Amino acid sequence: MGHEHQGKKFEEFVYGILDNPKKTLIVFGLVALFFVGSIMMFPTKIVLAKMLPGKSTNTFTVYIDTPNGSSIHQTKAVSECVINIFQKEKHVTDLELFLGQGSPLDYAGLVKGSGMKMGEQFAEVVVNLTDKHSRDEKSFNMVQRLRPILKDKCLPIVKNTNIKMIEMPAGPPTLASIVVEVYGKYNQKVIELSHDVAKILQKTDGLVDIDIMADESYKKYQLVPISDKVSKSGLSVEQVNQILYLAFEGMGVAVKNTIELNNQISIFVSLSDESQTMNSNTLSALKAKLSQLSLMNKNGMMIPLTEVVAIEEGESAPMIYHKNLKTMVNVVAETDMVSQVYPLLDAREKMIEYFSDKYEVSKVDGITTYMFDLKLKDKTNGEEYLLRWDGEMKVTLDTFRDLGAAFIAALILIFLLLVVYYKSFVLSSIVLGGSFLSIIGVIIGHWVADLVTTETFFLTATSLIGFIALMGISSRNSLLLIDFAKSLIQEKDIPKRRAIAIASATRSKPIMLTAIAIILGSALLASDPVFGGLGVALISGTVAAVIVSLIFIPILMDKTKDI
Amino acid sequence: MKEKDLSNIKVTDSAGKLARGFLYNPLTAVLAIFLLAIGYISLEVMPREEDPQISISGGSIIVPAPGLKPKEIEQIIVEPLETKLREIKGIEHIYSMSMDNVAVVNVMYHIGQNREISNLKLYDKVMQNMDKLPKNIMQPLVKPFDIDIDIPILGIAFYQKDKSISYPQYLETIENLKKDISAIDSVSKTELKGEHKEQYNVEVDLAKLKGYHLSLGQIVQGIKSIAVRVPSVNAPTKNNELVIFGIKNAIDSIKDVENIMVAQYMGSPIYLRDVAKITDSIDIQNKQSAKIFFKDGQSYEQITLSVSKLAGTNAVFVADDVKELLDSHKETLNKLGISYTITRDYGVRANDAVNELVHHLVITIVIIAVMLVFFLGWKESLIVTFTVPAILAITLFIAYMGDQTINRITLFAFLLSLGLLVDAAIIVIENIHRHMHAHDSEQRDIDELLISATDEIGAPTNVATLAIILTMVPMAFVGGMMGEFMKPIPFNVPVALLASLFIAYIFTPYLGRKLLHRSEDGAHQHTEKEAN
Repeated sequence: MGHEHQGKKFEEFVYGILDNPKKTLIVFGLVALFFVGSIMMFPTKIVLAKMLPGKSTNTFTVYIDTPNGSSIHQTKAVSECVINIFQKEKHVTDLELFLGQGSPLDYAGLVKGSGMKMGEQFAEVVVNLTDKHSRDEKSFNMVQRLRPILKDKCLPIVKNTNIKMIEMPAGPPTLASIVVEVYGKYNQKVIELSHDVAKILQKTDGLVDIDIMADESYKKYQLVPISDKVSKSGLSVEQVNQILYLAFEGMGVAVKNTIELNNQISIFVSLSDESQTMNSNTLSALKAKLSQLSLMNKNGMMIPLTEVVAIEEGESAPMIYHKNLKTMVNVVAETDMVSQVYPLLDAREKMIEYFSDKYEVSKVDGITTYMFDLKLKDKTNGEEYLLRWDGEMKVTLDTFRDLGAAFIAALILIFLLLVVYYKSFVLSSIVLGGSFLSIIGVIIGHWVADLVTTETFFLTATSLIGFIALMGISSRNSLLLIDFAKSLIQEKDIPKRRAIAIASATRSKPIMLTAIAIILGSALLASDPVFGGLGVALISGTVAAVIVSLIFIPILMDKTKDI
Repeated sequence: MKEKDLSNIKVTDSAGKLARGFLYNPLTAVLAIFLLAIGYISLEVMPREEDPQISISGGSIIVPAPGLKPKEIEQIIVEPLETKLREIKGIEHIYSMSMDNVAVVNVMYHIGQNREISNLKLYDKVMQNMDKLPKNIMQPLVKPFDIDIDIPILGIAFYQKDKSISYPQYLETIENLKKDISAIDSVSKTELKGEHKEQYNVEVDLAKLKGYHLSLGQIVQGIKSIAVRVPSVNAPTKNNELVIFGIKNAIDSIKDVENIMVAQYMGSPIYLRDVAKITDSIDIQNKQSAKIFFKDGQSYEQITLSVSKLAGTNAVFVADDVKELLDSHKETLNKLGISYTITRDYGVRANDAVNELVHHLVITIVIIAVMLVFFLGWKESLIVTFTVPAILAITLFIAYMGDQTINRITLFAFLLSLGLLVDAAIIVIENIHRHMHAHDSEQRDIDELLISATDEIGAPTNVATLAIILTMVPMAFVGGMMGEFMKPIPFNVPVALLASLFIAYIFTPYLGRKLLHRSEDGAHQHTEKEAN
């Protein structure tokens, strides 16, 4: 039979390697070469690591933040510019604009504070696309393509506007891909420092949508009621305050109940738009407007408002942000289709260089998930600041750390299980070591996938999960092999070397079959943007695992005396 | 077929025991049908959603303090509050914002903390320490947030194609619709965005005000004095009957507002309409608005109605129910000139995700089946193909019992286990196949062959499967949001693998006996008779 013949051939092939020390050495050398070669792909950046890849979706959101103190009309102008650009896109079905507020909450908005937005400086545009299956351009490619156009055209409309394009995260949502937390004692200093940090991030390749999550200061006028003048004119401070509010903000003064409608109708009094509008944002214009407003005192006399209040000009006080009781400002950035790891390291280098002029820069010792943090100490007055990396990077490090620990735990557990089963440390080590070699396939697979795809194919958290699963799969191959060889030696009295060859020839069929099943089963996964890493890891890792268990494991089995 | 005595067949492993126990058991077929049935039912009734439910507890404390500056707020409100909140066990981060006139403190608990207890602890802490807060501030607002309830699964944008009905009527229609939707099973929260309230706007002209020598205060007084509401009054008559009379609202329509007399000037009355523009319109002080823009360049003011579902319920069903209700109202809405478009539908997305899984499964099973036909033969292939739905059925059922939902990550777990779960069956069937085609197979009893072939690979397969399970289990201990996100993997993959062992040991020999025959038919018949 054909199969039998092939089996015999393979048996002889394996036996040939086992019987010839030179060939054995070649196999050892090749395995070592591949192993070192594939591991080296990390530091040489041939294979890039990332937490989770982008996910093509049918919708994304544009956050528009005009500077604090902007009017709704200014925000609207920027939003309309954004909408105009999207309306020309052929895959856009409709756009929703939410002015002065956030859009209905979604997964991304939950952590980005979209639900808390309220004010004239905020707007969100939800872009709904045609179904992802019937569209060739992936949503993240579209975002990447339109981002520069959007910023070019719409940012200049209102100075200091920030536009961010928010995609649905593939994994758990984070505040941003890159978050730099600037800690310090004084809010004003922290804000200044965060501007420097933002500048550096701006200069770093691969980073976009940089934003400082602090208030901009803007010109503000303070009306101060002069108390003795107020009381001399027969007015009260409360009355003054109320009238001012009523005039420019308006107030519901009464309600009308209705029978037909659900809600009460409020009667709202304010000055008309024309009466409110000032000629310019200057002190004199404000004064002119206020002088027109008069109050009636107890005696029925009309007193102009400017008589009883003084106008002071000043800067608005920025918001003070605390995280865990410490004053802090966030600087956030998104990555433009690249992993956040490399721009982060890049930006960190630049920061060390930039800040060493004015500050003593020190790094954090040891390996923790905060290992990229920088400590700054002002050379002139000794004030200390901390730059801490958070956001997706932190989640990535935490997850890879936990997955790594999970992986080591898995190795120990499997080892113990094998020791219990075989009652031999050597055999257990062979099985485990053989399984570990499947990493060669995983890395080479990612490299090949990166070569054949147009976008960068990252080694992601799902690849790591695939690799962990592979450990089990390839140990199964070795197990079946060792068991079979053992029973051949014990029951049929076949010499060890021949028994190993027969075993690997006989077991090659089920090993191949299960491997093909895994490869075919994962083939559909490989094209998925999120689970692609897993698919590729399983496919290429399985190929490596088969080769290792059919050729390399027999050599190790031959060398040990435990069989 | 009459049951045979199989107990003399020597088995060493649980695999062999299972094979022996079920080989002639009449319940084996029933078990198979039962498994497939519960699997199918689970697939249909299990709640579907796109993203897994992550239990994140936390909340906001909002303290309005009118007239205070950020620095003051930081010192007298935020800092005392923060230090007190620190005392609560289980809090991961405290964020605070000290702004003009308001303090906001956000609290995030560690992932996996019980939500109700966490919310209570937060509320308790704030209330216990009310005395530590300054006196001139307003009552703090404690607002817990909740990822399941707060993220809407449906968004419907309503807009008026023509203005045939007034805004208040339009809003009324939508609010009534909202009430109807809230009454649907499993709907938790419905919210409107971009809506405006009806309001009588009195826009005072400053120049005219000055001309009549009036102050704003007088106008407010004028309106207030007339817009009072008095309850009905009872008065007895002489023969002790009750006369009830109500006082009609002085303001009944926009006309009444216009005709409010605010002052007298040189003997002639000044009406509100003389100094102000009065309109029956919407709340102009609310700067929030929403618009929808279509491909064809059309744009409308819109009101978005967002619908959330209760935790643990099926996004697909809830979305379908809401859409059905909308459909039934479509005619009426159309007549009123109201159109709508669904802008968000997580129900469809959840359904797509699940259907994609089923689709993937079918394709994969077919591919594997075709491959096995070439290597082993079509009957063997058929047997392995049967095991896949059976294994998935068990896994789904157990996931359903464990209150899990079908979402992107459970889907991921199933896809991950797909390549692994046929392995046990392939190994068993391959070994049976090998033994059947071995030279000495004619001398052996078919039952003995099936059982011992299963038994032979039992031990290494058990250990290997256990090894794969062991690789998955530590993943359950990955912390943080990502850990919570991945939870379905360590829960479901081991179950699928264990199920694959049982199914392989029970059904592969059983189906093998029904379907497979040895190369020489005669020899097979012979042994059968002999055994009987």
